[in-house]
Amino acid sequence: MAAASGSDLSSEMEVDAFRRLFPLCFHERHLLKSIRPDGRTLGKARDTIISLGAVTSANGSALTKIGCTTMLAAIKLEVMTPTVESPDEGCIAIDFHMPPICSPIVRPGRPADAAPVVAKQLSDTILSSGMIDLKELSLVSGKAAWMAYLDIYCLDADGSLFDAALLSAVAAFSHLQIPVVSLNDEGRIVLVSEDNGGGKLEKEPVNKEKRKLKLATIPFSLTCVLHKNYILADPTAEEESIMETLVTVVLDSSSQLVSLYKPGGPVLAHTSAIQDCVALTRQRLKELQKILNEAISDMEVD
Amino acid sequence: MEYVNPEGLRLDGRRPLEMRQLRAEIGVVARADGSAVFEMGNTKVIAAIYGPREVQNKSQQINDQAVVRCEYSMANFSTGDRMRKPKHDRRSTEISLVIRQTMEACILTHLMPRSQIDIFVQVLQADGGTRSACINAATLALADAGIPMRDLVTSCAAGYLNTTPLLDLSYVEDSAGGPDVTVGILPKLDKVTLLQMDAKLPLDTFETVLQLAIEGCKAVANYIREILLENTKQLEFRRGV
Repeated sequence: MAAASGSDLSSEMEVDAFRRLFPLCFHERHLLKSIRPDGRTLGKARDTIISLGAVTSANGSALTKIGCTTMLAAIKLEVMTPTVESPDEGCIAIDFHMPPICSPIVRPGRPADAAPVVAKQLSDTILSSGMIDLKELSLVSGKAAWMAYLDIYCLDADGSLFDAALLSAVAAFSHLQIPVVSLNDEGRIVLVSEDNGGGKLEKEPVNKEKRKLKLATIPFSLTCVLHKNYILADPTAEEESIMETLVTVVLDSSSQLVSLYKPGGPVLAHTSAIQDCVALTRQRLKELQKILNEAISDMEVD
Repeated sequence: MEYVNPEGLRLDGRRPLEMRQLRAEIGVVARADGSAVFEMGNTKVIAAIYGPREVQNKSQQINDQAVVRCEYSMANFSTGDRMRKPKHDRRSTEISLVIRQTMEACILTHLMPRSQIDIFVQVLQADGGTRSACINAATLALADAGIPMRDLVTSCAAGYLNTTPLLDLSYVEDSAGGPDVTVGILPKLDKVTLLQMDAKLPLDTFETVLQLAIEGCKAVANYIREILLENTKQLEFRRGV
C-alpha cells in the first residue's frame, strides 16, 4: 500500500491512484480515525443550500444543493375535473428525472437505474406524509380542481439523491402560490391576469387572491450508509458505490417516523444501528428546518 | 400586433439592435468534465460535457477521430404550458443534430481517436433562442473541459418584424410568424458554421439580418472570452500562482 504522506507531486499522484485502485481500503483508513475523505465526521451532513423561486415561469420552484448534489424542483398547476370518488380533492403528480448531465453513468436513451426508484419513494413519502391536504387544491366541487405537476430534475448526482429531492419538493411546495382564477361564461376556468383583474369580471373570482398552500407537517429525511460498525450520514456518490447498504429515514416536523427504507445490502443491521440512524435524522431535522425557514423568510422579505 | 412601437422600443423595452442580458457561469456540475450555465434574458440552459472517454457502443468507434454525441432536452416546466414529451420529439432530435454537427466542426477530433465526447444540454427556461443559448453553453462547457477546439462557436438569432431587423428574438417575437435567422460563427476565423432560416425574406433584407446576427455572435464571443479569462484567473489564484 502506498504511503499517503508527503506533499510533493509524486505522493499526490500516489494518493489519487490509491483512491481509484483500492477505494474500500482508502475509505477504511479514514474511518479508523473517525473521519471521511472530505473532512467530515461520520454523523455530519454536507452543507445544504435552498433557493426558492429558481424557475420564474413555474407556480412554485426551488433549487437545493446538498454538497454537490443539485436538484431543481418546479410545480406547474393545471385545471382538471376531479374524480367522481373524491369531487373535493385535487391531485398531485410527482416526476423525478435524471438527465444525462447529472452523472457520467447515465446514458442518453436509457434512464438511470436510480431514477424510477427515487421517483416512487418520493411519491409515496409525500403523499403518505399528509403534508398537503388535497382538499386545498379544489376549485369548484365536482367540476374543477387543480392538478399539481411536480417535476424534479437532478442537475448533479453526488449521493443522497432522495434527501435532496425530498428537500427540493418540500421547498417548492412551500413556495407555491395558487393563481387567481374565475369561471367564465362557458363554465371554464380562466386565469385572471393582473392587468384586468378587478376591472370588468363577469363572475366573481373563485379565489380572491394568490394564496399559498398550508403545509401540515413537513417531512425531512436523511440517508445513511452502513459499513461494518460504522454509520456514515449523507454519503457522496463515491461512498454510496463502495459501501452499498443504504438506510433512509424520513421524519416529520414533530419527529414522528414517516418512512424507513432499507433496500437490502450486504450489511445486516441490528435494531441499535437503525435507532442510531433515527437519532442522526432527528439532528438533521433541526438543521433542515432552520435552513428552510430562513429561505422562506428571505423570500417574504422580497 | 405591434412588435416595435413608434418610439422604437420592442415589447420588452429593448431597442431593435439590442441583445438580451447575457449571464454565464462555468463549472456548475461537479461530476461533469466540463459544464456551464448560459442565460440569454429569460432563456436558461445548462450544458455538461463528459469526455473524452471510452466509446460506449464499440460499433460506433472511429479509429482516427473522436465520436461526438449530443442530446438536447427541455425540462417539463421550461415552457409556458407543461410539456408532455420533452425528449424524443422531432424538434429535440433536430436541435440535437444541429448542435452536434456545429460543435463537431470546431472540435479537433483527430487528436482524440477511439474516444467519445458527450455533449448534454438541458433547457431549464425557454424564452426564444434556445438553440443559440445551447450552442453558447456547449462552447463554454467544452472550454471548461479542456477539449481542444479550433475556435469558440457562438450563436445568435435575428428576425425581421414591422419592417425592422431585430436582434435576439424572445419567444413572443419568434412566434409572430416572421423570419427567424439563426447563425453560428467561429469568431476569430470569421467563418459561418450554422445558418438556419424559416419564412420568406427578400435577399437584400436577408443580408442585413444576417449581418446583424453575426454582430450579435461577435458580442457573445466577447462576453464568453471575458468569462473564460476570469475563470482562468480564479484557477491561477487557487493554485497560488
